[in-house]
Amino acid sequence: MTTNPTTPPAANQLSASKAALVAKPGQAGIDPRGPRFGASITAALLLTVVGLGVDAAAALPATIAERASQPAFILFSVIAALFAWGALAGIQRHPYGLFFKAAIRPRLSAPSHFEDPRPPTFAQAIGLLISVLGIVLHLAAVPYALVIFAGLAFIAAFLNSVFDYCLGCQIYVLLVRAGLVGRSRTAS
Amino acid sequence: METLIVLVGLVALATVLGLVWRARTGRIQRTRVTGSATASEENRITIPGVAPFGSRVTLLQFSTEACAICPTTHAQLSGLADEFDDGAGAVVHVDVDVTSRPEIANQFNLLQSPTTFILDGNGALQARIGGAPKINDVRAELDRMLNPALV
Repeated sequence: MTTNPTTPPAANQLSASKAALVAKPGQAGIDPRGPRFGASITAALLLTVVGLGVDAAAALPATIAERASQPAFILFSVIAALFAWGALAGIQRHPYGLFFKAAIRPRLSAPSHFEDPRPPTFAQAIGLLISVLGIVLHLAAVPYALVIFAGLAFIAAFLNSVFDYCLGCQIYVLLVRAGLVGRSRTAS
Repeated sequence: METLIVLVGLVALATVLGLVWRARTGRIQRTRVTGSATASEENRITIPGVAPFGSRVTLLQFSTEACAICPTTHAQLSGLADEFDDGAGAVVHVDVDVTSRPEIANQFNLLQSPTTFILDGNGALQARIGGAPKINDVRAELDRMLNPALV
């Protein structure tokens, strides 16, 4: 993981609790507003998928090619590809993250603290899983699968954006307990 | 028209879920008060390989690596422990990363991170907090535990 080259705010201007969160040298830190900005775009796009797909959700076209050429399906596939980008390349290199850094962040005041990029990257992987399930089931002609999974992903993105809900905080412990993640400890 | 109803309904559902989550997260849930010293002895929590607990109160935090708010909680709780501590380890904050220790997550039935336990001087569980603790509530709880006569 490469280090974010941004300069942390001077630690002596911060309260003790915030100062502890300032990115240290050699440690990657991101502006916590970046992932929430991206989540708001994602939420709007996912709501569009539901809007485009809900009318035709009960009676799907007969052939797989017709189902794959529906606007809701195409948009959902693009969103899934963006989730894959964020999950694999890391949230900082996601297009929304890059756009936030290049165009939005220079207009904002400095963040009060930096955050670890791993939790929002993990949330991207969960988003990818949900959208791939919806895409596969839709191609398999399961009625309502596309709008239901787009709706689930919308709720997660909306909660992240509006309420600062952290999907990783809620789910990761359960995955640890299920033995799906975290067994092999990576040096941090 | 039906599409509009679905979309408005979805946004309304997400908003309600968010409000419920925000109201519930970080609440202090007290465990049943047992009072007697023997019961306290039986409920003693021990975790191998972590820092020693406080002689009067321990704030025991469980974190994971995919938890954006855990570092914030860590900073707040360790600040609070320093505020109450007498310099001799009466009030201590301990942060345990359970990412590579699923047996701990299972033992204490952790459902989210951070989860914080408030332990008394015997290491017995007094209260449990799921999510980001409301720091003023924790301060009040510490006041209550350290100065029972004042309440």
